[in-house]
Amino acid sequence: MARTIETTRPAEAPEFRPGSVPTGNPLARLVNESTAIFGRNFKKLVRIPMMLFFSLFQPMLWLLLFTQIFKKLGQFPQFQAQGYSSYLMFFAPSVLTMTTLTSAFQSGMGMVTDLEQGMLDKFWISPIHRSSVLIGKVMSDASRMVLQGTLVLVVAIIMGARIKTGVVGVLVMLVLAACFGIVWAGLSNIVALRTKNSEMTMMIGILLTFPLLFLSTAMMPAGLLPGWLSTVGKFNPVTYVIDTARQFMNFGYAWMELGKAIGIIALVGLFTLTGATRAFKKATS
Amino acid sequence: MTDLIEVQNLVKVYPDGTRAVDDVTFQVARGEIFGFLGPNGAGKTTTIRVLVTLLPKTSGRALVGGHDLDREPEEIRKMIGYSGQFIGIDIDLTGQENLVLQGRLHGMSLADARGRADLLLDMFGLTEAANKRAGAYSGGMRRRLDLVQALVHQPPLLFLDEPTTGLDPQTRNALWRHLEELRAGGTTIFLTTQYMEEADRLGDRLAIIDHGKIVVTGEPDELKAGVGGDVVTIALPEDTDGELIERAKRAVAAFPGAGTPTTFDHSVAVPVKDAGRSLSELVRRLDEQGIPIAKLSFTTPTLDEVFLKYTGERMRVEETGHAQSSMFVTMRGGRRRRG
Repeated sequence: MARTIETTRPAEAPEFRPGSVPTGNPLARLVNESTAIFGRNFKKLVRIPMMLFFSLFQPMLWLLLFTQIFKKLGQFPQFQAQGYSSYLMFFAPSVLTMTTLTSAFQSGMGMVTDLEQGMLDKFWISPIHRSSVLIGKVMSDASRMVLQGTLVLVVAIIMGARIKTGVVGVLVMLVLAACFGIVWAGLSNIVALRTKNSEMTMMIGILLTFPLLFLSTAMMPAGLLPGWLSTVGKFNPVTYVIDTARQFMNFGYAWMELGKAIGIIALVGLFTLTGATRAFKKATS
Repeated sequence: MTDLIEVQNLVKVYPDGTRAVDDVTFQVARGEIFGFLGPNGAGKTTTIRVLVTLLPKTSGRALVGGHDLDREPEEIRKMIGYSGQFIGIDIDLTGQENLVLQGRLHGMSLADARGRADLLLDMFGLTEAANKRAGAYSGGMRRRLDLVQALVHQPPLLFLDEPTTGLDPQTRNALWRHLEELRAGGTTIFLTTQYMEEADRLGDRLAIIDHGKIVVTGEPDELKAGVGGDVVTIALPEDTDGELIERAKRAVAAFPGAGTPTTFDHSVAVPVKDAGRSLSELVRRLDEQGIPIAKLSFTTPTLDEVFLKYTGERMRVEETGHAQSSMFVTMRGGRRRRG
């Protein structure tokens, strides 16, 4: 008995249609692909109001609570001798960096979600550069960090903080914090892709981030830290990022410090971002 | 017809030692629907994930669209569409945005991707939900959206891993029709399924896979013929004497293409080549010889029996959801003949 479906078959299947096979130069393609993935991630960011609210809420809480707790400290002569007019003026750059660091760990959790929801499969079977996925992700992470950072600075200014170097200082502070955030997000993504578990990613993230914050000059000027802590802080990239931001906020242009901080971020980034790329490629198997 | 997929001695051993795919060899011709039929854990998904470049193989050789799996995975990715067993959609994006993203990832312009997305959403009855977050979709809608994602860039080669698992019967039928249309348009489809009915209806050729090995390959009809063809059973009236039954037996034995008839109670059963076509002729002959017929029936072998023959066991179909289990019952219950 003939099968009806066979009657609909052409005698010979036509040749391939080229369809929409990507063409063009590799760089243009990389930009296109990354933009598509960035757009997707950014939409997700603004589409879940709760997520956006809480990721903005946390830095506000830190800014308000910490500056209240340590308000009197800012009036101590020893503290004033460090050159800061108030604890807020000292602490605002710290909150900025803390914000981007905790934001960085959302990055890895997003990666686990993409993995669990099968989105990474879709990316992996697409004819795109593997790095496009990471570039798109980094760009959306960075825009989230800049958004959060801007809000931190706005609230700090409302609370009475002043930025000595003005708009340039604001830009330097935001870019620096976002760059460090991206580098740190690389670490989060390594953890995410190795553990493939969002709880683990969050836990390891907190474990890696908080000691780093407390072992830096984030809470206290170097001059007021115990000797050993001050020494440890010198090997901590967080110290350089925060101190540079502090320089621009409190004292004026500090290009040397900025260069040093960027160098250190680049060095850390060399490890975390190549590590993340490798983990991403390896997760395919 | 050239082969679009050539797989030779493919082996995949997972790090934990599981030999998921164990020396598998097969070819898929351009323009055909090739079905991989097997129970859960047979190695279907592993094979498909290796072929779509998601999993590295352990050994063997595979050419997909003429491109070597090891050397040119990018070329393979350019020409395939894949819908996995597990749905891969972004629940925070709308249905349309999901499709547009897929199109963009395959190098389509925003306008092209949008046009194509709208067309497909309409074709699969998702237009109303096009601008809703995919997170608000029902299970069946998510499955459909995932399938449609694989079609956005009009790939000449489509890999579908259990595409109808969890679909309601209407959607399943719509998908079958669409796959047949795609084939008519020249698309080659490699699909896995654990449903006999699906393999039977869609597959131009099938490979039955169990425990990581292909046990048999062939056209569905060929495979079914291999387990014994159709059987016609003629029941005579209850008061029929033995002599009449013998006459009936001789009459059907003389029928061209008939096998050796057997009798039981007051019935005669005879294997024939194609019951649907021989039936009227058979009835005419019995009538000519004055043999009364009380009841007439015929059965067609199913792939289930093919599976049983080659693996020595019934196919295990795991019932994970309601839709699936009801589909399973229909399948077992209906020994229907397509025509």
